[in-house]
Amino acid sequence: MGVTTFLAQADELRAPAVDYGAVAPVLIVLGAACASVLFEAFLSKSQRWIGQVVLALITLVASGTALAIYAGDAPEQGTLTLSGALAVDRPVLFLWATLLLLSFGSILLIADRSVEPGGAFVAEAGVRPGTVQDRAQAAKSGMQTEVFPLTLFALGGMMVFVAANDLLTMFIALEVLSLPLYLMCGLARRRRLLSQEAAVKYFLLGAFASAFFLYGVALLYGYAGSVKLADIAAAAAGTNRSDTLLFAGFGLLVVGLLFKASVGPFHAWTPDVYQGAPTPVTAFMAACTKVAAFGGILRVLGIAFEATEWEWRGVLWGVAIASMLIGAVLGLTQTDVKRMIAYSSVAHAGFLLVGSIALTPEGLSGTLFYLLAYGFTTLAAFGVVSLVRDADGEATHLSQWAGLAKRSPVVAGVFTFLLLALAGIPLTSGFIGKFVVFSAAVQDGMAPLVVVALVASAVAAFFYLRVIVLMYFSEPAPDGPTVSVPGAFTTVAITLGAVITLVLGLWPAFVLDWAGAGAFIS
Amino acid sequence: MLDPYLPLVFMFALAGAFALFSVTAAPYIGPRRYNRAKLDAYECGIEPSPQPVVGGGRMPVAYYLTAMLFILFDIEMVFLYPFAVSADRLGLFGLVEIALFVATVGFAYAYVWRRGGLDWN
Amino acid sequence: MSWTLIALLLLPLVGSVVVAVLRRSDAAAKTAALAFALGELVLAGVTWVAYDPASTDRLQLTSSVEWIPNFGVHLSFGVDGIALVMIALIALLVPVVIGGSWADKLPEGRTAGGFFSLLLVMQTGMVGVFAATDVFLFYVFFEAVLVPMYFLIGRFGGPRRQYAAMKFFLYSLLGGLIMLASVIGLYVTSAETLGKGTFDWATLVEAMRTADTTTQIWLFLGFFIAFAIKAPLVPLHTWLPDAGAEAPVGAGVLLVGVLDKIGTFGFLRYCLPLFPAASKELAPLVLVLAVIGILYGSLLAVGQTDMKRFVAYTSIAHFGFIALGIFAFTTQASTGAVLYMVNHGISTGMLFLVVGMVMSRGGSRLIQDYGGMAKLTPVLGGLFFVAGLSSLALPGTNSFISEFLVLIGSFPTRPVHTVLATLGMVLAALYVLWLYQRVFQGPLRGTALVGVAGGPGAATAPEVGAAREVKDLGKREIAVLAPLVALILVLGVYPKPVLDVITPSVGATLSEVGVTDPVTAQEGK
Repeated sequence: MGVTTFLAQADELRAPAVDYGAVAPVLIVLGAACASVLFEAFLSKSQRWIGQVVLALITLVASGTALAIYAGDAPEQGTLTLSGALAVDRPVLFLWATLLLLSFGSILLIADRSVEPGGAFVAEAGVRPGTVQDRAQAAKSGMQTEVFPLTLFALGGMMVFVAANDLLTMFIALEVLSLPLYLMCGLARRRRLLSQEAAVKYFLLGAFASAFFLYGVALLYGYAGSVKLADIAAAAAGTNRSDTLLFAGFGLLVVGLLFKASVGPFHAWTPDVYQGAPTPVTAFMAACTKVAAFGGILRVLGIAFEATEWEWRGVLWGVAIASMLIGAVLGLTQTDVKRMIAYSSVAHAGFLLVGSIALTPEGLSGTLFYLLAYGFTTLAAFGVVSLVRDADGEATHLSQWAGLAKRSPVVAGVFTFLLLALAGIPLTSGFIGKFVVFSAAVQDGMAPLVVVALVASAVAAFFYLRVIVLMYFSEPAPDGPTVSVPGAFTTVAITLGAVITLVLGLWPAFVLDWAGAGAFIS
Repeated sequence: MLDPYLPLVFMFALAGAFALFSVTAAPYIGPRRYNRAKLDAYECGIEPSPQPVVGGGRMPVAYYLTAMLFILFDIEMVFLYPFAVSADRLGLFGLVEIALFVATVGFAYAYVWRRGGLDWN
Repeated sequence: MSWTLIALLLLPLVGSVVVAVLRRSDAAAKTAALAFALGELVLAGVTWVAYDPASTDRLQLTSSVEWIPNFGVHLSFGVDGIALVMIALIALLVPVVIGGSWADKLPEGRTAGGFFSLLLVMQTGMVGVFAATDVFLFYVFFEAVLVPMYFLIGRFGGPRRQYAAMKFFLYSLLGGLIMLASVIGLYVTSAETLGKGTFDWATLVEAMRTADTTTQIWLFLGFFIAFAIKAPLVPLHTWLPDAGAEAPVGAGVLLVGVLDKIGTFGFLRYCLPLFPAASKELAPLVLVLAVIGILYGSLLAVGQTDMKRFVAYTSIAHFGFIALGIFAFTTQASTGAVLYMVNHGISTGMLFLVVGMVMSRGGSRLIQDYGGMAKLTPVLGGLFFVAGLSSLALPGTNSFISEFLVLIGSFPTRPVHTVLATLGMVLAALYVLWLYQRVFQGPLRGTALVGVAGGPGAATAPEVGAAREVKDLGKREIAVLAPLVALILVLGVYPKPVLDVITPSVGATLSEVGVTDPVTAQEGK
């Protein structure tokens, strides 16, 4: 194909139709992220923090408002826009709303400067741990406000990721959401070495996962001649092309997705990164990345690979079982509360996968509900973790939590409630979430998988209970950690998470209605 | 055996054999005359400046930052060329798009500039 | 729409909040707790009167509000005779327990307000379990009731309370989660049969009638394992001795008196009517477990050295009798089993309380630390003896009637099991009387009662060999035990009021299983 032919084709180029109403929430977030970079460039040091916080919160509210306005009279079936690159349908609107709400809580945690004087972030991430400069920086109260644009970019990437209707858009979105996260992991003010290790580890493994994903996209392009999810589905449904390309491509693609969702056995980064990253960032990752990754998984499985469900289902059964068992069993041996919640998130990823591979409307709505419920519970849980501190910063070793209920009954009570929600005890959102996901799975003929999942839940309950035992039934150590009085931001974030966990446990019907309002469009 | 791919197989075999031959033969038959330039890390170009005296000849870290920034902004220019050669066909939409693109790069540039990324010290 | 059950549910919950608010002042918190518990007892009395045993309605006093329409979940409440007597038992035991724990020494840093507040929360949960007529709602209460009990054991219990609380919670939770699989399965099966899934108990009973036996067996097993852990049946009983021994006395009474009855109640309300074919298929298995439970529990009770564990093992034996009665599938046996559930709550509850009173005087749980105590505390000895006699089912006490009904009811269908179970009665006489003899009879002895130099009692004992000052029961303690003694004697000679309420519901349950009574069948000929 010569240059002339190429240019001749360019003659036919038409500007793609853009449904601005549908993509407004994403545009607002990405635009604000750019503005946020400019804030960093032009605001003076003293104005940056307040400017960034106000901008970020206004952005989330504006984006949410745009979403609400659009959702009010959005077409029931959803709509394709930007030449079919983005699909905005009911599940996507639900996921966007979830992401925006969770980000709101995360931004509040990130912005808090009262728990850790000056915030949980360093001013200079490049300073080597243990050096004179590092100690000087730890003593100062400056904070890296770059974390705000990074968060907004990551959020924008996540929103595009769940709406991406072809694999290349999805890949770009994956990178947009991942790269800021890698950086954010390395910003912790305390325990710099762990934090930097987490960032490097996450980056390296994440790069591998991206490569897997991209290789998968290439093979699927070779199979279907297109990267559009709908074209792959059509090719898989009605051709006699080589299945090798299809399944090799599927396998590689799914590995990349499962990595992001921290589904075992692709979870190896999770405990290290959750532990090393600054706790507000961990909260953001645990809540939002999980939502985005499972949003992508639901879409890819539900559209592109629906026709080949019976070929791959066995494999994902195995992955789900592995994830649940790894999370539940290894969680038992943890002595650090952040690592423990990390393994719990691996187990929860297994439960979510159970719902995701039931390609039924019930499976879709159940998984969406579970994501929302789990996101808020884990967000609030990390918020509480950030409050329990001693002289060296956060006291994350479990032994330091002994007798916490005596020192601060409210914090211990809230954390107990959140742990019970993670364990799936009734009257919490965790129970309803498990129920909807598992009932969808049983309806789709996966009863044995559900039994395994329930046994794994029982095992996982043990380590949640262990923390409750420590907090309530043990005597506090004389030099144990104190609980910081949370500032307004952290208080609001934790309250938001805990209240939603309770409300969804008592009155889940309205959210279940939204989650089940429609199907994917492709 | 008129397989059209047979020549290809010969070609591969020949190429492989040549590579193997060159690599094994060179140390034995080639002349070995070393000079200072040949022992440099980069045989072409000028000596790193300023000349590293102590510390094992390490580069200042600012070098990497500047190099990285250069590469980032340099790569973005790649997109401007195809736009430039077909600007008239792309019309107003293309112009708006490329303006947006340049603007985002500009934001990053502003950030780098204002926060001292371009200062050597 | 009847509000009685809803009031029964809400009153203790409100009470728990009030008590929690008042916890800074012990006296106020205790008084408020007792007031709410007595109020609940009055309400339960009203409910008892409002229930009409002659009515043909399977469930009465029903109320229903939509909860999660997406899954057809309702907040539905209603009682049959079986649930009604259990709710009455709860309402009776809670004030007794509050009175009995009035002067308990709590672990350091714990308040009586916290203790009673948790007790009242648990009361709501327990009433909810028996009153729920929506399977989902039942499951919610079934699990939710674990949480207050877990904190009661873990915060207020004996030296190994952490271990016991954890074991209790994990056993029950595992059972509960297995049951959740069956609950979901039940929902899905109903969706297949009816076109729209439901959790309504009565609708499900109809829908499951046509389900094939294999499905029924799987779903039955899920429920059965959960209930067998609760009840507890051997070999799933190992949590009970630990939990019973480490629980504070008040919580222990509710644990063995009521909480464990959720298991046997579950057999009657859920396993039998929902899965009739599976129940018949698996009854032999359950009966074997029941008989093993009777003999094993009795034998281990004989060998116990710890009084609280002793009570726990006697309960395991008694639960064997209840399970035998339920799965013998005759009206007499099942009626006896339900009556047994009530009587066991009264007699074992009392036994637990008097054991607690002995312990609060001697400061030890070990039988060997006591001896000849009746000389010091004749009233306590006498009441201990009454509780013991009721526990071994002496004729004239309440338990005799229920045990006798279970045995004669089971004999026509299961003679071998019944004969073996009768051995349990003999062992019961042995373990109860031997315990009484060791603790109360003979010369005064034991480190708990007689100080020994350097021994645990040395600090308070004036000199070696002298009797420590041990007071007999006070007015409060007598007042707490009096209603139980009265019930033991009254129900021992005149159980008709309770039987009248139970019998129609038991009959309905058995007709849902579709078994014909061999005795009545013979009479019909």
